[in-house]
Amino acid sequence: MSDTDGRIRLVILGGYLGSGKTTWLRHQLHDGYFQRALVIVNEAAETPIDDALLGGSDRLAVLAGGCVCCDAKQDLIDLLRRIADDRSRTVSTQSPLDLIVLETSGLADPGAIVEAIRSDPVLVYHIVVSEVIVAVDGLHGMSQLRSEPLSRHQIEVADRMIITKIDAVDPSELALLLATLKAMSPGAVISGAVKGESHNLPDFSEAIAETLPDFAGQDLKAPISPTRLYLDDSIDWTAFTVWLSALLYARGNDIVRVKGVIRTPAGRLLLQTVRKIVQSPEILPEQGDTREDNIVVMIGRGFTHAQLTKSLRHFVGVQAG
Amino acid sequence: MCSACGFPAAPGHWTEAGAANAHDRLRGRFRRAQVLQRVLPSYQLSVHETTDIPGIQLSTMTGSQSIVSHLDDVWALAEKVNGTPVDPLDRRFIGEE
Repeated sequence: MSDTDGRIRLVILGGYLGSGKTTWLRHQLHDGYFQRALVIVNEAAETPIDDALLGGSDRLAVLAGGCVCCDAKQDLIDLLRRIADDRSRTVSTQSPLDLIVLETSGLADPGAIVEAIRSDPVLVYHIVVSEVIVAVDGLHGMSQLRSEPLSRHQIEVADRMIITKIDAVDPSELALLLATLKAMSPGAVISGAVKGESHNLPDFSEAIAETLPDFAGQDLKAPISPTRLYLDDSIDWTAFTVWLSALLYARGNDIVRVKGVIRTPAGRLLLQTVRKIVQSPEILPEQGDTREDNIVVMIGRGFTHAQLTKSLRHFVGVQAG
Repeated sequence: MCSACGFPAAPGHWTEAGAANAHDRLRGRFRRAQVLQRVLPSYQLSVHETTDIPGIQLSTMTGSQSIVSHLDDVWALAEKVNGTPVDPLDRRFIGEE
């Protein structure tokens, strides 16, 4: 019997908005890791996007419309109880589920999820959290640590940290980030990744960790929340991108993440941004669930849904509602 | 995106990713100029689209001209000219007083 006592191992994959969780997981699945696992994807917005990218998984469940560390915690508990129950009924000739990978939303504190599972009287006998992996954005991680309490909570509970996008970071800035992370979570294993692939990290033994500002007693900024923007059928990609590029230029620090699938003459384009950085849109295959096309999720602070729709309409002269 | 596990990325600047062929690209250029011309005059800039020059042609109210390669450069120039960026959440676009 393993040290899990026959319980299902649960790997929690967390990390801040746009840190590269899905990209990393997608590559792991492609490389054959977590093959027999059930992958659960949680998205704070009601429009799931990441599940479309995780086709490498045989078994996939989506929890959308709330973060499982807070609003949708009960949904997660209910789902895990159902999974545990189904597994208990599995006949011995079938290979039982022994691993779950939970990809959290970027707004989740993995510590709260661990606590919720450990304190559930049923799940504690069925599921054991085996590892908390946290993706850290190599490019924006340092500024997130300086300004966002949530990003620090995520680091503090990590068993393993994957530093992403390390090819895009200045070596001295990367060393500062690594030293700061090491000081915050000395026991965690740190590794590097570029587009999901493992990459060696530079030596940072000489780097000195930054002393992060104390949030206690300060007025924190407004919370980050998701908004869904419906694009009318008449909207064209060009007009939308003129508006969005201006918005990101002016407000990129407050619009932390934009995700959506937009239909264009070139096909279904997956649009993803992290602050002011826009990924080259991927062309998604035509098959699959297209009901969520032309809905863009914008996650950030300092704007309302009404303001965004008005702005888009006035800016480019199209309807959005 | 990783070519092994991802879907292919559309080539070129991300704002031009929606075009499937040369006709779409041409239509996109005119559409882009049309939207920019709605916005930029109130920021002391105007846009001019001729298909023979790659890039986006801009001129200021004093007549100086620039050709920039993509939209990010347009917003950077607008900020330089006005001292403040073109903010789509500005009152003029969301109709709030």
